Parts: sequence; structure tokens; C-alpha cells
Amino acid sequence: MKRSRATAAVVATLVAAGGLTACSSDGGGSGDDGPVTISVVQYQQTRIDALQAEIPGFEAAMKAQGRDIKVDLVADVLTDEQFKTKITQQLIAGEAPDLIDIGENLVPGFAGAGYLAPLEDDLEAWDGWDHYRPQFKDAMVRQDGSIYSLTHDTGVYNLFYRKDVLTQLGIDTSQPETWDDLITRLEAVKEATGEAPIVVPAGAAWGGGTWAEGFQPILGGTDQDFYDADSGTWDLDSGGFEAVFDLYAELQSKGLLPTQDLQNPNPWEPTKYDAFPAGTLPVAAQGSWGWKFDWGPEGQAPIPQLEDKVDTWQYPALRDGDQPFGWSPPGFGYAVPESSDHKDEALLLAEYLSTGEPLARQLVASGAASPRDDLADVEPLASEPKLLQAGDDLADSVFVPTGDGADQVSQAVATATELILNGDADGEEAYDAFKKDATDLLGPALVKQ
Amino acid sequence: MTTVPLETAAAATTKLPSPSPRRRRRRSGDRPLILLLLGPSALLITAFIVAPAVYSVYLSFTNTQLTGFAARDPKFVGVDNYVYLLTNSDFLGSLGQTGVFVFFSAIVGQTVLGMVAAVLLSRPWLRGKGLFGAAVLMPMVVPEVVASLTWASVLTSGPEGTLNRLTGVFGAAPADWLQVVPLASIIVINIWRGVAFAMIMFQAALEDVPAELIEAARMDGARAWQVFRHVTLPLIRGPVFLYLLLTTISTVGVFGLVYFLTQGGPGGQTRLAAIYIYERALQFSQIGIGSAASIILLIIVLVLGVVYVRLAKVEV
Repeated sequence: MKRSRATAAVVATLVAAGGLTACSSDGGGSGDDGPVTISVVQYQQTRIDALQAEIPGFEAAMKAQGRDIKVDLVADVLTDEQFKTKITQQLIAGEAPDLIDIGENLVPGFAGAGYLAPLEDDLEAWDGWDHYRPQFKDAMVRQDGSIYSLTHDTGVYNLFYRKDVLTQLGIDTSQPETWDDLITRLEAVKEATGEAPIVVPAGAAWGGGTWAEGFQPILGGTDQDFYDADSGTWDLDSGGFEAVFDLYAELQSKGLLPTQDLQNPNPWEPTKYDAFPAGTLPVAAQGSWGWKFDWGPEGQAPIPQLEDKVDTWQYPALRDGDQPFGWSPPGFGYAVPESSDHKDEALLLAEYLSTGEPLARQLVASGAASPRDDLADVEPLASEPKLLQAGDDLADSVFVPTGDGADQVSQAVATATELILNGDADGEEAYDAFKKDATDLLGPALVKQ
Repeated sequence: MTTVPLETAAAATTKLPSPSPRRRRRRSGDRPLILLLLGPSALLITAFIVAPAVYSVYLSFTNTQLTGFAARDPKFVGVDNYVYLLTNSDFLGSLGQTGVFVFFSAIVGQTVLGMVAAVLLSRPWLRGKGLFGAAVLMPMVVPEVVASLTWASVLTSGPEGTLNRLTGVFGAAPADWLQVVPLASIIVINIWRGVAFAMIMFQAALEDVPAELIEAARMDGARAWQVFRHVTLPLIRGPVFLYLLLTTISTVGVFGLVYFLTQGGPGGQTRLAAIYIYERALQFSQIGIGSAASIILLIIVLVLGVVYVRLAKVEV
């Protein structure tokens, strides 16, 4: 009797728990007409603040359309690597927020794994899609022909330099046409100051940034054949790889890179946040968000009179026949997890945030250029000449979309450039190490034979 | 807290008379109670330790990744991951660094200093034992993140770092200690953090050493070091080896302290095996390779454990 009572109690508890779970699992209601609460995650404080300010406008706009949609902002301040680790676990578990804002470098891996919902059909039906610049529409298409994230901000990677410092040192500040030209100037800076004069992300400590913000832009400017989108394979024999490793090795061997700082945890702090603002390291490879996010008045390391003191060069030509160039990856984009119960509502929010004044305000907050062609007159972006210029520069910039295996290539590049920083390898040896490592990590299916 | 030497306990266990039939009946009648008491723990251990470990063994034989197309369709790759790791200089280097870290911080540093502290605290002439004990215990009770922050402040580069202030008194220039001597720095920090546990264990063991044996040795003319070497140490061999086993296991698994301070850098100089596994499994999403590295580390720790147990001749 006692046993049957105990069994009944256990069953009742399980039923009650199941009922409660069912009640709480719909996130505040579902259905086409009923109230819906969607969640959106941001992990950078600047973007959190910018998004927070747009949520009431979205909810009001939806209400005006007869939709009751509430937005729950998941503000989680993390580094890029921490966010990647966390969101990956959430996506695997099917527990990711309904809308996630992720960098372009994360999209191939997540899309390949099936964590993200394809968006192309909905985007074709959206009137804002016609205003996206063609190069971004192309760059957003993944290996399987689908689009998995809606780019909302972008930028151009260039070489930012301290105009005031170089002028004071008597160094030419015109656009260097070739890396040889630039290296000659950098050597003159080093001779005058005794300090390493340029930072280009390299090594393991910079994480995925070594590939995405350091190596890939230089590679993409000299070699557009390192990834074959048709076959979805990486051509590790493509000539640009060795040329870029040689460049890193030359910069290191001539003492032009801050090798010790690059091997620190958070290497961007002593370089971009300390030395560049101090003027002791006058050249930095950097995206256009540097105008706001890094060195703007509200940035991580503000530089007073920024626009008077700092200017940009395009990346110089690396090999014969190359021209100076800027690098323009799609940047951050909104993606909807496949596991979301509110995909339509999440995409509505993504579209709202990627349109008109809401987008213009976010672009100014994060210091990004617009992937759309209809924001030049929209305030507050219209009052930001540097960001508008970055938008214009997009037309002349290059980007090589990649696919599955980007994580592995990123890792192999980080390891090989670390060898250079340590002085354990020259360019050729680093390239050999990279090729072996990347071949192992990618496997035969992802390496062009 | 007192500790019964394991040899004594084991010997005592073997001398127990076999239980009477009545007692055996009572024991079999206790089975539901034993199940009730042990069942939840066994269930939790199975769910959260055994099952993930078994799953990890399975993953180590696959090319499972967390992202990319391989995440959709992982394949069995046999021992490829193990072959890759055992021929990979980064992984072998991380094992070497782990060995150096464990040897100098746990086996040498914590054990020797813990023993010195325990012996000192057992001396009747020592004044301020409470203060001394509290000072040694403090690092153990401080959360790992707080300990890391403290040392980040002590070792920070520039003249504002605590250590640089001290060396500056003698005219030395400020140094970036985590750059210049990264492995030595984390070894010192781990000694600082773990010496209290060693002290507690050895203190308890020393209390069980019969005073008359010490007295007899002294009356025979043995000096303090000879008494310690030939009388005390053999008597506490069991607890010492048990401590070595525990500290080796826990030090091999040290992650947070090192990750917070150096993230494995600079240049991989502090990339311990735990950091390597984290990088592979979570940063680079290669959970198959990360699992294989974990299993290799587990096997190494198991072998070390068996060696300790054999050396100590204790039953655990």
C-alpha cells in the first residue's frame, strides 16, 4: 500500500513537472495572433546599448501592424572567443535565443552544421533587400546556395596610421603602393623610436582574429583563388598563402611587429588600446569600426581629435600586378537559429533593425559602414563623414567568401604565425607547417586536390 | 582532524573476525537502506561522470566537430585522432609542460613546503601558530578567480605591479613577469595555492606518529633531521603518497588559474594539456580530437596513480 502511494506520488510529481515545463516552454505565448516574446542576444556593450534603444520602436511598430511582439534582450558582455564558445553550446542544445548577432566568420561553421535557418525566401519578399549592395548579397550566399545571416553592418579593413606621429618623424604619409615601400617607412620609424611600428593580428593569442582580421585581408588582396566556392574546397597550394607568410616573417625578422605583445592574452590591449593611442605604435591593421568602437570618444581607448591625428591607407600591393586595396567582409549579421519557435517574428526584428534610422543609429554607435545603398541621407549616419567614406570605399574593396573549414584554416594560420612570432620559422617553414596542419584538420573532402 | 594511516587501517581491516550468521542476516536486511543512501549518489555519478566519460571515449574515435558539415555527419575514424595527437608537436609539448608544471609545483613545491609548514606547526615552541596556519590556509579558501586576479595584480607589468614595486626598491627595472618567466610564475602561484592542503594532510599524519618513538630515537642520539628521515617519514609514507596522488590528479587538471593569467601563452609556453584540450574541443570545435586528448591524459594520470599506489604499498 505504502509502495503504491509512493508510486502515485512520484507519478503525480512528474505529471505536475511536465505540465509546468510545458507552460513555460513557449516563451510567453505563441501563435500567429497571440502575444509573442522573442529573445535576441548581444555580447558587446556598444551593440547592447544600441539595440536596447531600438526595442521600444520595434514593439510599437509591430503594435501598429496589429502584432503583439515583445523583445527580450539577452545582454551578455563577452569577448569574441567566449561568445563563440557559449553560443555554439546553445545552438547544439537548441537553446539559443531567437535572434543572434554574429560575425561573418562564424556563419560558415554554424550554417554547415545546420544550426541556422535559411533566410533567402523571406529576404526576397522583403522590400529592404533591393537596397543591399550587390557584393554583400553575393557574399551572404553560402556554399549550399542559401543565406543564413542578414548583414547589418560592415566595414573596410585598412591600415590605420598616426598622421601626427609620422609627420613629426618626417615619414611620408602618402598611400604606400607596395609592402616594400611601407616596410622601408616602418624601418625608418623603428630607427627613430626604437619601438615596433605596426600591429597586424598574428599568433594564437589573438584567436580567430589572426585569420579574420590579420591574415585573410592581406591574402584576399593578392589571391582570390584560395577558396573554391563551387567545389567547397580550400586550395592550400594557392600562391597567396606563402606570400603572406613571407610578409609576416619579414615584418618579424626586421623587428617591426610587437612580437611579445602579440603573444600576450588579449594582445589587442597593449597594441591597439595602449600603444596606438599613445603614438608609440603608429600603424595598425584595423576595420573601420576603429573610428568609433576602438578610438572614438566613447570607444575602448579614445584618441582626442581622432580625425586630425589618424588616417587610413589601403593595404599595399603584395605581389607583382597587385593594386592597393581595402578588404570588406560582410561583418555582423542577424541569424535565426533553426531551433527557434519564432523564426518569422525574429526575422521581422532583424529586418526592422536593418532599415532606415534604426540601422543608421546602430551603425554610428558601432562605427560601421552600411551594407545598404539608401542610408547616405539618414541621420545620424549622414553626419559621419568617415563612416560614409567607408561606405563609398566598399565599392572598391575586395572580399572572398569562404565556407566550411574556415575554423580549421583559422587555427592552422594562428599556429603557423605563432611559429614566426617565436622566431621558430621563416615564411617558407611557416607555410609548410600551415599546409600540413590545415591538411590534417580539414580532411581530404575540404582540400582541393 | 586526524588521519588514520592507511597501512594501519588496512591491517586492522584484515584482522576483523568474519561476521556471525545473525549479523549477516542483519546486513542483508539493510540492503534497501543502503540502496536508498547510495542510490542517488550512484545515479548522479553515473549520469554526470561515468556516462560523459564513456561518451568521451566514443567521441575520441570519431571526427565529430561542433561546427561545419562534419557536425551533421560525424564518422568513425578509428585511432586516427590518437595517431594525430601522438605525432603532434603542440600536444606533446603541452604534455611536457604539464609534466614540468606538476613536478615542480605539486610534487616538489607543495609537498616540500607543506611538510615544512606541518613540521613547524607541530613544534611546541612555535608562537603564533594560529596566525601562521591562517596565513598558509588563506590561498586555499580564496576562489580561483580571486586568486588569479590577485596574482595578475602582483605580476602586472609596469611600475605599478606589486612585484615590480618590490624589485624597484633594489633598483631593478619593471618586468612583465608573465611574459619573461610565464611557466615559473604559474608554478609559484600553484605552489602558493596548494601548500595549505599539503600542510593539513601532513599535520594530521604527524599527529599520529607515536611520541615515544621520537623520544627513543632522540635518546639514541639521533639528530632532528635523522629522526625525521628515519622515523617520522617512514611512518607517514601512506598519507604522503596519498597526497601526491591527489595533488597530481588535481594539478594535471588545473585550468582556470592558468587560463585566466596567460591563456596558454606567451607563445604556448604555458599551454598545459588542459588548455590544449579546451582550445581544440571548444575554441576550434574539434570535439573528437579534444576527447582523444582527454583520454590520453586520463590514461597518463591512471598510470601515475597506479605507480603511486604501488610505491606507497597502500590500499585505496
